[in-house]
Amino acid sequence: MKPKIFFIYTSFIILFLASCHESPTYSNTMLGNFDALTDIIDSRYCFFNDKDIDWDEVVLKYRNQITSETSTEELFLICSSLLDELKDGHVNLSSKFSTSYYRNWWSDYPQDFNLRTLEQYYLDFDWYTTSGIMYKQLHDEVAYMYYPSFSNVISENSLDYIFALMANSRGLIIDVRNNGGGLLTNINTLIGRFIEEPITGGYILHKTGPGHNDFSEPYPITYEPSPKGRVKWRGEIVVLTNRSCFSAANNFVSVMKGLPNVKIVGAKTGGGGGMPFTSELPNGWSVRFSACPILNNNYEVIEDGIEPSPDCEIHAWEDELAQGYDAILEYAIDMLKKNPLPFPPGEPGDEEQNN
Amino acid sequence: MNHRKATDIFLLLIAILSPFKMSGEENLVEQRPIVGIYSLEIGRRSVLATYLSPLKYSGSHYAASGYWTKAMPFNPQKAIMEFEASVEWDNLFNPVKTARMIGLDASFSWGLSWRKRLPMNFQITAGGAVEIRGGTYYLLRNSNNPVQVNASGSLDIVASLSKHFNISRLPVLITNRIRIPSLGIFFNPEYGETYYEIYLGNHSGLIHAGWWGNNFRIDNLLSVTLDFGKTAMSIGYRYNLYTQWANHLNTKVQSNSFVIGVVPGSIGLKKRRVSTTEDRIYSIY
Repeated sequence: MKPKIFFIYTSFIILFLASCHESPTYSNTMLGNFDALTDIIDSRYCFFNDKDIDWDEVVLKYRNQITSETSTEELFLICSSLLDELKDGHVNLSSKFSTSYYRNWWSDYPQDFNLRTLEQYYLDFDWYTTSGIMYKQLHDEVAYMYYPSFSNVISENSLDYIFALMANSRGLIIDVRNNGGGLLTNINTLIGRFIEEPITGGYILHKTGPGHNDFSEPYPITYEPSPKGRVKWRGEIVVLTNRSCFSAANNFVSVMKGLPNVKIVGAKTGGGGGMPFTSELPNGWSVRFSACPILNNNYEVIEDGIEPSPDCEIHAWEDELAQGYDAILEYAIDMLKKNPLPFPPGEPGDEEQNN
Repeated sequence: MNHRKATDIFLLLIAILSPFKMSGEENLVEQRPIVGIYSLEIGRRSVLATYLSPLKYSGSHYAASGYWTKAMPFNPQKAIMEFEASVEWDNLFNPVKTARMIGLDASFSWGLSWRKRLPMNFQITAGGAVEIRGGTYYLLRNSNNPVQVNASGSLDIVASLSKHFNISRLPVLITNRIRIPSLGIFFNPEYGETYYEIYLGNHSGLIHAGWWGNNFRIDNLLSVTLDFGKTAMSIGYRYNLYTQWANHLNTKVQSNSFVIGVVPGSIGLKKRRVSTTEDRIYSIY
């Protein structure tokens, strides 16, 4: 009898312990999906306090719009409007028929960039491309590289070619206008060419629980110099920005702004300083949202964007761009063309000094 | 102590320390064959991993495993060494089949059990094992939280109850084996932590001391083994439940599987010609 009692007792304890931590479940109904979405955002979104959002109030406003006659498409629009209240380009709701996207972070601002103008009037439809980077030495011996997306993986060899081919230039322009982000690891690869010692380029933190104030301590993001033997760039650098610089591009600008030989020229970037997570609703829609804030090296949130360097806010207006004049690029060339060439023609030592 | 008494003690020591047993008039070679069961599993699994999704995923579960046992030399009738290794593969979908999750898991364990033979061909074993597990659940459509890594090391409680009998002339062994990890350590990311931050070097709060309140697993295998003589076949049902709670993250894994296995060299139940020079001690029954 005793073993039987022991067995029943043990089984009970085991089942009790195993079922201690229940997670909320949601029905696949209009309200069930809405509640799942609002709970996910409530517990995991990371910028409520920085943006001063009263989430309970927002939820109440939109929940009241759902009735028994609400269709799936209408629910999607209600949920999209709810998410737009976060004013965050990293927030999307994706269904089989549409993906919501908050566009005002860039659509309310001038574009300050025209690719055709760049290709036709500055690159003369003749440039090199490697690792997704377009590059060429412009007039006045100014090196120029256009990096349209951090989704393009930058190889170390590509950077060797770029910086070796344009070594004898008065300065380097890195154009990241319209760069919507991508892989953060590309920042390390690029930044490594401009530094001699490891630097702290910013900080990352994460949520430690579902509360709006549950955050970890900031953890430094360290950037290492590129490996020995790689071609480095030691001259002046100008980074060109517009409002459509977002996410990883925004991070890149934030780190570059902290380097002593770098100026940021153009317009304030679009932000996107939170690494996004993905979750989903019972009906299968997926939701993406900012989950981990990234700070600059002054412990400031960069979700709102990076300002240009002092006196370097420049706009490239549409009518000028249409006529082949890029005011932001021209401003950068003017800044750099006064610099002397590092290796005037006829003088040896080019390769040695760049390695 | 006289000469006769000293000789007796010497012979007794030889008998204890020798690998050969002295039985009757002849020396018997003690054989302790390794019994290996190689199994394939197919079944259903459900996974709730709130780091990845608040929804429970379910789908097919496959596994391949090996289970080896051997009687120990110091007490071959009672002490049994066990080694077990398995790899598992899951193909899972969310409730509305719009997203897919892949699971991959591997485990190794080594342990020692004591057995007691009971009347009516019953046998019980009980012991402990050291287990290492590692694996991941990969949710294909997620962005910066695409995987949940599972890694743990634990001290397990293992026990079994078995009985052998004959169906006609075919020896059959029916066994229920249970494994419950008790104390250990396990890996779990923080609530909203990216693997990018871990890659950067932030390793705080990732390793947890595990006990039944935050890291509970039960693995139960009910099997029937048919001994054909030169080989044996095993069929069975495995139930596995795993729950983990750390950093406000909930993981629940449950599976039901059909198991089929083969035992090369049999399990020794089939009657053979009695050898006058061998004493085979099987570890399985």
